[in-house]
Amino acid sequence: MSVSVERSSDVARFGFLASAIANRPVQVLPGQPGELAWTDGKSVFIDAEKSLHEQLTALAVQAALLAANSLNREIASALLRRPTLTRRYLSVEAARALRAVATLLPPSLHALLSVDVQSDSPAASLLLARERTALPDPPPSFGAIRARQLLARPADLAASTVSSSRSSSPSLVELAEDATTRAPAQDSFVGALGGGGTLGKWLSRLLTAVRQISGGGAPGADAPTHWTRSGRRGSRGSMFATASTGGLEAARVPRDGGIKYPEWDVHTQRYRADFCTVQEVEITTKPDATRFAVVDRVGLRRALSRLGLGIDRYHRQVQGDDIDIDAVIEARIELLAGSAPDENVFIDSARRRRDLSVLLLLDVSASAGEPAEGGKTVHEQQRAAAASLTLTLHELGDRVALYAYHSQGRASVRLMPVKRFGEGAGALLMQRLGSLEPGAYSRLGAAIRHGTALLTDHGGTPRQLLVVLSDGLAYDHGYEPAYGAADARRALGEARSQGVACLCLSIGANTDHESLQKVFGRFAHAALPSPDQLSQVIGRLFRSAIRSADVRRRIA
Amino acid sequence: MKADTQVLRSKTSAPHYVPVGNEERVFKAAYRQGLPLLIKGPTGCGKTRFVEAMAHQLGRPLITVACHDDLSTADLVGRFLLRGGETEWVDGPLTRAVREGAICYLDEVVEARQDTTVVLHPLADHRRQLPLERLGVTLSAPPEFCLVVSYNPGYQSILKDLKDSTRQRMTAIELTFAAPELEVKIVAHEAGITTAKAAELVRLAQAIRRLEAAGLREVASTRVLISAGRLIAEGLKMREAARAAIVGPLTDDVTATRGLLEMVDVFLPDESVPSLGRA
Repeated sequence: MSVSVERSSDVARFGFLASAIANRPVQVLPGQPGELAWTDGKSVFIDAEKSLHEQLTALAVQAALLAANSLNREIASALLRRPTLTRRYLSVEAARALRAVATLLPPSLHALLSVDVQSDSPAASLLLARERTALPDPPPSFGAIRARQLLARPADLAASTVSSSRSSSPSLVELAEDATTRAPAQDSFVGALGGGGTLGKWLSRLLTAVRQISGGGAPGADAPTHWTRSGRRGSRGSMFATASTGGLEAARVPRDGGIKYPEWDVHTQRYRADFCTVQEVEITTKPDATRFAVVDRVGLRRALSRLGLGIDRYHRQVQGDDIDIDAVIEARIELLAGSAPDENVFIDSARRRRDLSVLLLLDVSASAGEPAEGGKTVHEQQRAAAASLTLTLHELGDRVALYAYHSQGRASVRLMPVKRFGEGAGALLMQRLGSLEPGAYSRLGAAIRHGTALLTDHGGTPRQLLVVLSDGLAYDHGYEPAYGAADARRALGEARSQGVACLCLSIGANTDHESLQKVFGRFAHAALPSPDQLSQVIGRLFRSAIRSADVRRRIA
Repeated sequence: MKADTQVLRSKTSAPHYVPVGNEERVFKAAYRQGLPLLIKGPTGCGKTRFVEAMAHQLGRPLITVACHDDLSTADLVGRFLLRGGETEWVDGPLTRAVREGAICYLDEVVEARQDTTVVLHPLADHRRQLPLERLGVTLSAPPEFCLVVSYNPGYQSILKDLKDSTRQRMTAIELTFAAPELEVKIVAHEAGITTAKAAELVRLAQAIRRLEAAGLREVASTRVLISAGRLIAEGLKMREAARAAIVGPLTDDVTATRGLLEMVDVFLPDESVPSLGRA
């Protein structure tokens, strides 16, 4: 096989081949020149200087060992610091492992299968290797087994062979800790409203106005310049609150001391009027603001660009694929009565404008300063995600705003505008974002209430979406988890009753997913190990959140 | 009639289908008992071909509806059209299948909205009736009528799933990719290439199919192997054909493409340098 020089220098291209043989995601990385190929269970290191055939051989052997479970923890422990035994084990086990993946080996490597297989399991191979019988040394092209590196990996190497890279794995220890502070059982009502569940859909349908009189204007008037669904979504038929919210509207006028918001007291089951004070604080940009990379914008754009463009049915249209019987009957009556009938008698299915405004709330409480996966802090991960989401949505023509929030007791809930609605998405945004430093606590409910107010006042579109980027549940002075969860849930309920879709993203952090999920509902929360995965889930999340907020009539 | 609700009749020549398990017996038993069928399986594993072959063997016309997310009840059942001051009823594909005693095949049924699939319920249980609300009539399905739906469980998401009440009325057939030896024969027959070449393609596909865990969303199906085989039958080199028919359609991602190209090069012989004489 002829191989050009520049191609052979990059071994990463073998990643798929190795993954296919190993039956799990495996990377291929260049090892030190001259050293034997080896694997740590997640990556296979091969010498890029060797010939292609030797590289392939090493790769096939190492990947086959992974596939055959030959490198599990018991075996690795047994081989630790015993180089001769390790070599003998490799010699026996490699033959077995290769035979197990025989159908997957490329034709050029079939010569490897000519060796006799002497064992039927890793344990049997180990027994055989411990005996005194003479065994041939494994050829150097097979590479080596490095027991120490295999054991160094804390992950469950020996566990399931197929571990999807997409699934995040919350650790059991944290779940157990979490149980002590867990909020009371989730209100199924809120959960249903939070997602596209059957109950939620049923409720949406139930709460929808059955018939809407279209605001088409006087007969004979010109057709409207653009299509509307007559009326703001969510404003009609919303019946969430059972109690007054304590003058939310009046409180919105900014006073010197900030804006007051009520808070839900779960213990007394009532609102505490004017309980929290939210201040909008400008971010003082620092000249040495951190610069950071923005992740995978192409994938995000692809996922987000189709959003809000679903097919919908429109009544009383000039053209369409079904007859609007009501309209036809009216038209016939008008014709028989001698007046000029309206010709809009069709039901049309069409994709229309997206009409979306998004407000992102970024949690910058002290907990975000903690280290996350990948050597960065949670804050850095969330910041990268917030930046790419804001920029992408802005580029797609949506109205988007980004606010950071933290709090220091109920009198000082601070929202810091990184980008307001109407502001450009330029260098200033990145500078402000880079100047943010995590600190203090987070009073989620007040932040959501202020965010909702901002969206409904300044969003200006029928579809509104509130996205919270947070690593964990609200905590503040006098805002313990159970109380905070109830208040946040209440605040979300208020937002949703105003037609604002809500969802939450946790990026990088591995704490407290459970409680956030309980607050936002299962379908409106996603936990991602890193911002790179954003594009995979964001489309689905946004869509289901918007759908659940779209309380509207759908004619089947 | 909507442009994308396509109605196909089974062809006169027998479609080539090789059973991979007991699916033919299950299908025929269910057909004779008047039970609706649900066919699951990955993309390109032969769901549609299977239904075509069965319709041909049972000697019934096949009416196929490709479901999409705006498929309305009217698209299936029929609708009134306006003609002057009059309305005129036009049967939808489902109604026509019931009237004619045909096999009605709803392809990718999860794509259809859940409220649309509810219209199938009275047809799918013991009643075997299709109420036409707008006409005020109820059609009883003749014994020859059979309802077949298919979907790909791999695409399932929170938003798209069959209602449990729909699902429960079905008898299910799960199709998978054929075993390698069988798949070699299928590819060789369909594409008109030698068994040896087909075997090389199948070996490559076996490897690619193990990559699902490594993040490849869709794997090489029997269909893409046949496409590759047909390109080979046209005189393309094996690697060229595999790049065009297997790698290209599977992914747009640069790293994934590179990895797949490497697999093609490793698994398929390099015909540009003749007679390398590999074992």
